[in-house]
Amino acid sequence: MLEIADIVTSYGKIEALKGVSLSVAPGEITCLLGPNGAGKTTTMMTVAGLLKPRRGSITFEDRNITGRDPGHIVRSGIALVPENRLVFPDMSVHDNLRTGAYSRSDNEIEDDIDRMFERFPRLDERQLQHAGTLSGGEQQMLAVARALMARPKLLLMDEPSLGLAPMIVEEIFRIIRDLNAEGTSIFLVEQNVHQALKVAHHFYLLEQGRVTFGGSPGDLEEDEVIQRAYLGSAETT
Amino acid sequence: MGSGYALLAIGFTLIFGVLRRLNLSYGPSIMVGVFFGTFLFIQFQAGWYTVLVGTVLGAAIAGAYVERLCFWAIKKGAAVASMVSSFAVWMQLEEGVTIAFPDRTYEFPALGDFELIELAGLSVRQEHVIMLGIAAILVFALHQLLYRTRFGLAVRAVSEDPNAALFMGVNTGRVIFLAFILASAIGGIAGYFIMATEEVITPKFGLQATFKGLIAMMLGGMGSVPGAIAGGLLLGVVEKQAEWYAGAVWRDIAAFMLLFAFLIVRPGGLLAQHTAARDLAALRRV
Ligand SMILES: Nc1ncnc2c1ncn2[C@@H]1O[C@H](COP(=O)(O)OP(=O)(O)O)[C@@H](O)[C@H]1O
Ligand SMILES: [Mg+2]
Repeated sequence: MLEIADIVTSYGKIEALKGVSLSVAPGEITCLLGPNGAGKTTTMMTVAGLLKPRRGSITFEDRNITGRDPGHIVRSGIALVPENRLVFPDMSVHDNLRTGAYSRSDNEIEDDIDRMFERFPRLDERQLQHAGTLSGGEQQMLAVARALMARPKLLLMDEPSLGLAPMIVEEIFRIIRDLNAEGTSIFLVEQNVHQALKVAHHFYLLEQGRVTFGGSPGDLEEDEVIQRAYLGSAETT
Repeated sequence: MGSGYALLAIGFTLIFGVLRRLNLSYGPSIMVGVFFGTFLFIQFQAGWYTVLVGTVLGAAIAGAYVERLCFWAIKKGAAVASMVSSFAVWMQLEEGVTIAFPDRTYEFPALGDFELIELAGLSVRQEHVIMLGIAAILVFALHQLLYRTRFGLAVRAVSEDPNAALFMGVNTGRVIFLAFILASAIGGIAGYFIMATEEVITPKFGLQATFKGLIAMMLGGMGSVPGAIAGGLLLGVVEKQAEWYAGAVWRDIAAFMLLFAFLIVRPGGLLAQHTAARDLAALRRV
């Protein structure tokens, strides 16, 4: 469904991605694991159109979306739950959800907002509250709900469990599994290797801007994945 | 007068709120619009509504020019460069108008011959009552636009977090451009009504408009629309009182004294909200 072929993305002179290739199959959960600074967020941002790759191509459902603007990519069916959530703190929960539907022009937006409140009852109780007053877990739910408002076929999630209490992390992963069961494909960046390997159909290891492993959970011992996801592997360090 | 300042401050607030940058050329853009209005009046004896439309159009076009040159062309993170270049464009606009209108002082058409009217025991100029009404209508319309439309949603999203707005697929560059034009157009309306009561116009009006709008915005609390209204009205009242009791030269002095007093006593402004601290921090970075 999503094919990333040999992309190079740089910040000025620093090459953060040095030829990354990977693919996300329809209906699956694909995880991208790797140590801090490996380029996971850069990969997400490049797919979402927020960074332009210097080289390589990105194809979504057989259409080339390389270098297209973010609005176009959202409309083609890819939505992002950004790192650190980035909800609009001084906007109400309700308005935050409306921003998620910004790229849509149909008249079912309010119905979808109601559906989000059914799915996330904790947001329902806080509809008119400013998003900045929510707890970390609630803000993460809001960030997910906001992305879903775009009716994505593929959901990009950048470290959704970051900084959350273990119970909330469980809930986030339950939501990820539910969404996937309903047919949404998911491309997930995670630091929580244990949880990620439990939900993933496929996973990739990214180290210093290069993919160093791609396969299914079970192809590698969890200990080795943890080792390489936190510290990087011996050859590359 | 106060409602004119309130409108000036709202335009300022819109730009500062969305961009977190100060546009010093805001007043001069309005001045360009006002001169265009005067030109229509002198050349074609245009009626009041043509002059008003001309003023607003002129201000909006000048505002669009300023945005492309000082804000769009200069990348984010370079707030100082934007402010300095908006100052340079200020000089440019002022010189341009001086060359096009070499007599410097021109007549601006009054709204009409109005008499003083009695209102709750006070005698007030009818123009001021009309201006207050127009300001109220505009504020209401702006509120509807910001809180009831898709464009308003985008403006609010960009002003809170331009990156997150981009993630939602908002074309932030276009939203900023349109907000800039909107702010200049509101400034144009303010400029028209201020001029229609003053009845003479010089290129120095740009300086006046920038300062009065800026002071009113700071009095009210940076980036807050209700604050801009309150600050504008307060500034108008204080200036009028100073003029009445101490003479015309005291008008501007009183305005600055008021600002200093506020900066010491209540630096967040009249309607200091929880975001005021963030706004001030943004201003310091500017
Ligand atoms: N805005 C930026 N400017 C310059 N370098 C950056 C920027 N963002 C990230 N980088 C660099 O790019 C590399 C990859 O970063 P990132 O994609 O955020 O990694 P990850 O999400 O895997 O932790 C890092 O070396 C980081 O220092
Ligand atoms: Mg990251």
